Amino acid sequence: MLLSISWRNIWRHPARSGVLMMAIIAGLWAGILVTALTNGWIHQRFVNMIQEEITHVQIHHPEFLTEREPWMYIQNKDEIFRFLERDERVLSWSARTLTDGMIQSPLTTSGVQIRGVQIDRERATTTFHENLTTGDYLDSELRNPVLLGERLADKLNVEVGNRIVLTFQDLENEITSGSFTITGLFRTASNPYDERNVFVRSDDLQDLLAGEVVFHEIAILVDREELSDSVRTDLNYQFDQIIAETWYELSPELRYITDAGGNLIVYIMAVILLALAFGILNTMLMAIFERMRELGMLLAIGMSKLRVFVMIMMESVILTMTGAGGGLLLAWLTLGYLGEKGIDMTSMGGDSMAEFGYDAVVYPIAYTNDYVTTIILVVVTALLAAIYPAIKALRLNPGEVVRE
Amino acid sequence: MAIITTQNLSKIYNPDTIPVHALRDVSLEFEEGEFTTVRGPSGSGKTTLLNMIGGLDIPNEGFVEIDGTRITGMKDRELINFRLNNIGFVFQAYNLIPVFTAYENVSFIMLLQKREKSEMKERAEELLTAMGLSKKFDSRPKQLSGGEQQRVAVARALASRPKFILADEPTANLDTDSAMNLLDMMEKMNKEENVTFIFSTHDQRVIDRARRVITMVDGAIDKDERKSPPSKGESELSEQGDDSLS
Ligand SMILES: Nc1ncnc2c1ncn2[C@@H]1O[C@H](COP(=O)(O)OP(=O)(O)OP(=O)(O)O)[C@@H](O)[C@H]1O
Ligand SMILES: [Mg+2]
Repeated sequence: MLLSISWRNIWRHPARSGVLMMAIIAGLWAGILVTALTNGWIHQRFVNMIQEEITHVQIHHPEFLTEREPWMYIQNKDEIFRFLERDERVLSWSARTLTDGMIQSPLTTSGVQIRGVQIDRERATTTFHENLTTGDYLDSELRNPVLLGERLADKLNVEVGNRIVLTFQDLENEITSGSFTITGLFRTASNPYDERNVFVRSDDLQDLLAGEVVFHEIAILVDREELSDSVRTDLNYQFDQIIAETWYELSPELRYITDAGGNLIVYIMAVILLALAFGILNTMLMAIFERMRELGMLLAIGMSKLRVFVMIMMESVILTMTGAGGGLLLAWLTLGYLGEKGIDMTSMGGDSMAEFGYDAVVYPIAYTNDYVTTIILVVVTALLAAIYPAIKALRLNPGEVVRE
Repeated sequence: MAIITTQNLSKIYNPDTIPVHALRDVSLEFEEGEFTTVRGPSGSGKTTLLNMIGGLDIPNEGFVEIDGTRITGMKDRELINFRLNNIGFVFQAYNLIPVFTAYENVSFIMLLQKREKSEMKERAEELLTAMGLSKKFDSRPKQLSGGEQQRVAVARALASRPKFILADEPTANLDTDSAMNLLDMMEKMNKEENVTFIFSTHDQRVIDRARRVITMVDGAIDKDERKSPPSKGESELSEQGDDSLS
């Protein structure tokens, strides 16, 4: 019955309640959409980074990532390979020979990270090869093939078929260099990455670097992301000359965006609901002030203050939730459409997004959690906004109100 | 034993600024089955007295006892619950919940009392029918005339099975016919079901229908007159009075 009074009271002023509901619908719709868009960005960035290069777990010499010395390679690689071969959680893995050096074209030089990869393993483990825009992958017949980012090629003024020289320190700290032929150009979502990385065959690099088989990094793809932690832990337990780390530990950026992304809905909704709260407060105050007599009468005939309080709170929650339901439904329908089609951000500055490594076409994602969080926040807002009007109503002195 | 006793009731509004003595030393007793009106000029304290008896206002001095229970000094929550289960209220206006139908308004108070569903339905229908509203169960207050609204209010007051009903100027907003019709209904309930009524009014025709007339002047009881129990002659007399006025 209280529910019924509350519901009918809302419709005493259809225009007033309607306007508030529209505001709530618009606010929540926009909030969910912005969140979903950002979720999409984060997810795409995550997938890109995991799939293109980082993978789930990586193994290095304990100091390699900080010192990056050529001699800090993985000593017990064969045991580790055998372990990975047997472990059922491991989907695939690829070992890499890494070193920092200079790239030199007839025009200019530039500092780069040289990534020596095992062609077939790399192709099975990461999707990097899909970023190739011109030319062929490293499995060419040519001697010493190399892949450059488009941007780097522009900067060096070279193209497919040209030769460049890579210079770096070998294991004995001697400067060594080799001539490589550009067989392909690539473009990832990240411009800085494209300018800083070149890809060669690990065999070719090893010849120049060590004259023996050395790997600095083993990238491991596991069956499901949730297995990352346990694989990392087992590797660290099993082998002591290396350190295994998950993507979460390896990439500060991924760590940051996944951590911040988890609470995104709360931040966005808090701002929107703060604005809506004033609308709810205003509507509820109006509703209470015009009903002072009626509320006084209810208290006089014996309706308890608790019931009056609950009635007002319910009115606020129902009013707000009706709007929220509409907003969430609308958002859900919109996302059902956009989730498949994606939003092309190019016209809205998508190019500049690439500077930070984010795709230009974004597929928004709203998680169930986002909807649940929104609903909880909406209810809390509705309750908070109604407390003041409800207390006003409870302060009524029925003896005064019923006079006249 | 009296069902209502007021003992030396005094009420002073604004004691610190411009004190208004709304009630001065009012001691009264009401018996079960009485049909009493409180009359007096505007500002004489009628509403204040009824509010005191109904536990809607607190006296500065004296106390009110209902059926042996002292309501003066009760805690807020206790008092609201006491009102719900012991006192029926009819006000001059704003008696009904506008979003509820006549039937729902009457059921509502029984719902607050947590009565059985079946009893609620039966009693709401019975009372509305007794008040001549058998065709108006599903009408909202806005769709009812002023007189019909007041009859719903009386039905609502009766629905809670109170010890007595307080009605502060229940006819003030009604035309003569509706006012007399409301009085007929109240009188009928008083006679048939022995419901105790205390109502205030300015209206001489309403005063004529009461069997006890308390006259207030300036916050004090000026006169307290009782008519002999209704005989055939008297009821004829009051009907004659009606005719001569209309
Ligand atoms: N809240 C209040 N503050 C100050 N004075 C008040 C208050 N309520 C009532 N009074 C005063 O108390 C006196 C009695 O008022 P009350 O309403 O009881 O009179 P009444 O007989 O019901 O009058 P009416 O016939 O106009 O309804 C009046 O002088 C009134 O102005
Ligand atoms: Mg009055």
